Amino acid sequence: MNYNNVGIVGIPPLAIIQELNRHSVTIHDLDTPMIKADMELTTPYLPRVYCAILRTVVLNALHLTLDAIYIDVGPGKCDCALHVATVLEDMFAIPILTTINDDITGFGTPISQSRMGLLQKFERITEGVKNTIMPSEPPPACTPTAGFWGVPPRDFSILDLFPDTTHIYGWTRCMENKTPADHELELDYNPDIPTVFYAQSFCAKTALARHLALKHPHGLYLDSDVTAGGSAKAKIQAFLELSGVKL
Amino acid sequence: MLLGDFGTSYSKFLDLSSARPKPHIIPSKELGTEHRVTIATGHNGKRFTDWYVNELTVLARGGEQLIAEDAFVLLDCGSRDIKFIHYTNGRLNDMGWNSECGASMGFTIELLQRYYDLDYQDLPLPVRPFSVTCGVLGMSRIFDAVVSGTPDSEAVARFVMGIAINAYRFAGSPTKLYLSGGLCDNPLFVKSIPCEVIPLGRFVLLKGLEAIASQAGK
Repeated sequence: MNYNNVGIVGIPPLAIIQELNRHSVTIHDLDTPMIKADMELTTPYLPRVYCAILRTVVLNALHLTLDAIYIDVGPGKCDCALHVATVLEDMFAIPILTTINDDITGFGTPISQSRMGLLQKFERITEGVKNTIMPSEPPPACTPTAGFWGVPPRDFSILDLFPDTTHIYGWTRCMENKTPADHELELDYNPDIPTVFYAQSFCAKTALARHLALKHPHGLYLDSDVTAGGSAKAKIQAFLELSGVKL
Repeated sequence: MLLGDFGTSYSKFLDLSSARPKPHIIPSKELGTEHRVTIATGHNGKRFTDWYVNELTVLARGGEQLIAEDAFVLLDCGSRDIKFIHYTNGRLNDMGWNSECGASMGFTIELLQRYYDLDYQDLPLPVRPFSVTCGVLGMSRIFDAVVSGTPDSEAVARFVMGIAINAYRFAGSPTKLYLSGGLCDNPLFVKSIPCEVIPLGRFVLLKGLEAIASQAGK
């Protein structure tokens, strides 16, 4: 393997991450904001009204020097990723390698259930996609007082509004478990705690987030685009406060 | 203790330390440093206080004070945005805040009144509304209608009706709707909402702040 820098989109299968780690290849998670550049730079390649995560992928790819991109296009990611893979193939001369991650071996979800700042939890989980090592000392589980269901948001600032005792559900929990296509796990939520069901605007998961929020006895559906505006943050604050969640 | 609801167009105040507290209102463009308050809410509020409470929370607290039922939908229509609180069994069930598609709704309705020199007290309910998504985009429908021969007053009335129906749908299309904000005083807007409407006036957020102050004092 002659790669030094590789980008990943979604969660490629564990075997690929293991191979990249074995060759000491630097992995860049293109789903996360890595570049401070205007999102408008992506408009020649993707519509403006499109998933902010995939627009971020293109923005990162435009600015990083990469030898290849692994992009998961299976049920653990989304149809849009398949189409973005086609766009990336025409944008760059490097290999764009599509994968379908159907890993079923669970790594556990201790971070999702721990007492820790929600932002910190998300950072640890998203950072975890670059390695294949099971955490040696997983943090202990706490009693949850609130829930966050969904994908890692493009704008992490909304996570600061939640208490440390927030449990993570949805695709982010699948992400920690390294089973991104585990639909049953993705559907799981705790009906006993107030839960925000989050999805990126224009993502297919908005349907599921909204559906589950309606089913949940005390759920709030929320979506946001590139950045979360004041009204999105106010909704979270008010929802938690009016639900009696101690912050 | 002075409370302030700092809206985009108007700011409302209540002085709890006065013998008989009574709300007063000023245009927000007249706000100055002398208007600092103990507790504030509203779009402009953070600049005038050290204790800011977000509008959805305050709206909910105001609703709890003013509405005796344990299941209700309360919609606040402001100059800049719309928001609602939906309670069932005495607790929060759903909420929404729309500052994008609800953009400048109240502001536009007031602007049109002045521009066309209309009195909403006199405007009859139109037969059908314009299909409008927000105040800004809806303006072009008015101008198109006027150019094609529709009287100014009818075009504006259809616009207001379209906006009112949008707000009603945003609140979840309830059978009964409690209304908060300056548009409570606009009979055309109130009559355009296709359900039972109970206007609570423009001081619901002050009532919510009063409840928060009272709770904090305990």
